Amino acid sequence: MSNAATFDTRTDTAIPVESPLAYSYRHSGAPRAGSSSRLQLRERAMLGHLILRGGAIVLDEAVRDVLGISLPGQPQALVQDASGERSIQWLSPDEWLVIVPGGEEFPLETQLRERLGDAHFAISDVSGGQTLLELSGEAARELLMKTVVYDVHPSNFPVGKGVTTVFAKATTILRRPSEERWELVVRRSFADYCYRWLLDAAAEYDVNVQP
Amino acid sequence: MQRYSGFGLVKHALSHHENWERQWRNPTPKKQYDVIIVGGGGHGLATAYYLAKEFGVKNVAVIEKGWLGGGNTARNTTIVRSNYLWDEAAALYEHAMKLWEGLSQDLNYNVMFSQRGVLNLGHTLQDMRDIQRRVNANRLNGIDGEVLDAKGVQELVPIMDCSKNARYPVMGASWQPRAGVARHDAVAWGYARGADAHGVDILQQTEVTGFKIRDGQIYGVHTNRGDIEAKTVGCVAAGNSSVLAKMGGFNLPLESHPLQALVSEPIKPILDTVVMSNHVHGYISQSDKGDLVIGAGIDGYNGYGQRGSYPTVEHTLQAIVEMFPIFSRVRMNRQWGGIVDTCPDACPIISKTPVKGLYFNCGWGTGGFKATPGSGHVFAASLAKGEMHPIAEPFSMFRFHSGALIDEHGAAGVAH
Amino acid sequence: MFYIYCPYCGEHREEEEFHPKGQAHIERPKEPEACSDEEWGDYLFFRDNPRGVHHEMWVHAVGCRKFFNVTRHTVSYEILETYKMGEQPSITADSQGPSREAAAVSQKEGVRA
Repeated sequence: MSNAATFDTRTDTAIPVESPLAYSYRHSGAPRAGSSSRLQLRERAMLGHLILRGGAIVLDEAVRDVLGISLPGQPQALVQDASGERSIQWLSPDEWLVIVPGGEEFPLETQLRERLGDAHFAISDVSGGQTLLELSGEAARELLMKTVVYDVHPSNFPVGKGVTTVFAKATTILRRPSEERWELVVRRSFADYCYRWLLDAAAEYDVNVQP
Repeated sequence: MQRYSGFGLVKHALSHHENWERQWRNPTPKKQYDVIIVGGGGHGLATAYYLAKEFGVKNVAVIEKGWLGGGNTARNTTIVRSNYLWDEAAALYEHAMKLWEGLSQDLNYNVMFSQRGVLNLGHTLQDMRDIQRRVNANRLNGIDGEVLDAKGVQELVPIMDCSKNARYPVMGASWQPRAGVARHDAVAWGYARGADAHGVDILQQTEVTGFKIRDGQIYGVHTNRGDIEAKTVGCVAAGNSSVLAKMGGFNLPLESHPLQALVSEPIKPILDTVVMSNHVHGYISQSDKGDLVIGAGIDGYNGYGQRGSYPTVEHTLQAIVEMFPIFSRVRMNRQWGGIVDTCPDACPIISKTPVKGLYFNCGWGTGGFKATPGSGHVFAASLAKGEMHPIAEPFSMFRFHSGALIDEHGAAGVAH
Repeated sequence: MFYIYCPYCGEHREEEEFHPKGQAHIERPKEPEACSDEEWGDYLFFRDNPRGVHHEMWVHAVGCRKFFNVTRHTVSYEILETYKMGEQPSITADSQGPSREAAAVSQKEGVRA
């Protein structure tokens, strides 16, 4: 066990908790659309986000033991467990993003630290710093085409891929966990901007927002 | 030299303007000159002009590999100002400003110097503190300047968005009323005509391919039109200075970057001053033709291509539309790039070099045009006497060894 | 517009994702205290600024955030290779004559500043 100080960011105390988009919902609203909607936007708020840094081989062994999925070694790779609730994404040759259901991140961090012992690694809980948005519907790719500089054509962006790229001048992580679904991981400080951009850009598709 | 005047215009009208004499000769190179200037842009031609006119050195050649004023002289956004922070830089740019004020008369050539004032906007508290400090420093150096608040800016430029709704609201500005713009081509042509009239040989389409150096002393240059001898050589080659320095066997602390500018379609007069914003990152003025003349930052990579990248164009225009929503539907006509030689402290190099008799005037980065007359004047004085002019002295290339830098990143403005 | 191959991401990405970071392969003096003013000034300020093949550092700022090296022609802007930190270039000014594109550009009128 490393001697890093850790703490569970989720406490039993009754502190009101808000997603990074809470402000945006209040100020910009969350449009609902009927069956004509060609784009659905859903926030997956309060998930557990961990950044793992270290050597791929060491981390891979630990992650497989603890989480049951192997660490993606290839650039731009995204892997999930069978339920699709837990994922690991390659961010850089020594950096991965782990997303798990909310509340699982602290036990996971503790287990990984125990398993990794004295190895050279770092784990940061970034759950409060970012949030995950899901895009689905037939217009999802069209919306991305006018927003990101990255080529989102299926031939270049198959299922199981994830990149960090420029999203309307901001930085976001863009990933494709399944055929019909895209995910955006946006930073808290850019969340309002990105959300408003999405509403504006998706207005023509009759966007339906599920906060 | 045929003098230009209203009377002359009328006289030549009688002969259908067919008998104007050429503005300068196209001489064949002599074997030997007292001084060779490498680079026929504004600074080089000004140097030659002042050498011949004020310092009595008339056996001078200006060697230009392309055409006169075809480099950064033709590619800048023509802003002239002298509100620099440090005493050394302020002295240099104010020296230029004083020469600008009498330049059209001196050259008998209308350089269309228009003192319409320059605003440097502040968008943050720190911007405003820097502006106050700079304006105070300017006044101590006898340079005009005022600090304006947002209301004052709005009165000067009613079409600018000075509301609180802007992403970076305008909090105020520094205002130099004597600053303005000039006609870039006319500056080069006016100096060329003046230099030629004093006997300077202007050699276009002549490219320096090497220096003739013996025992650490220069005695001439190799060119594509043969060797030319001179014991004093001044290089004023902007973006290509590093290439020349390498021929001389030494390095300069310079990086050459692409800097872009754009002009819009001509519109009716709407902006009667020059607006610069370091923070939102763009500058704009309106030419006499009516084009909006727009510039902003350099591209971050080294480049000699005289063209810039698209993200920079987009960034520049975003800044302009942010400040001037009224221009959002103006169409851009042309976009181009120059090669600017940037120096680590955003100040030029006017200096002797490790080679005796070889002098360099370079490193003007994004702001050389405004200094054209002053740069030429002090460089000419230095070449004529073999000793650096007191105003040029602090700008030695060896300051990067001694540590006596003159950091003008704040006043150099938008980019460097 | 550059389309840059990031050696860490293993694919070409848009210029907007990158930042240039100046000349590559500059070595910090092992003992700064022992440097003369001239050596220290050279290290800090004096740079190669060739008209031709140049080695420079870039960072994949919006992406994997790794620094890497680029060999690029400063007239044609053609990117000749990219390689990881710690590696040496396989293309240099000596190994490379003027590239086709560069030659074409330098012949074009208006590029002769």
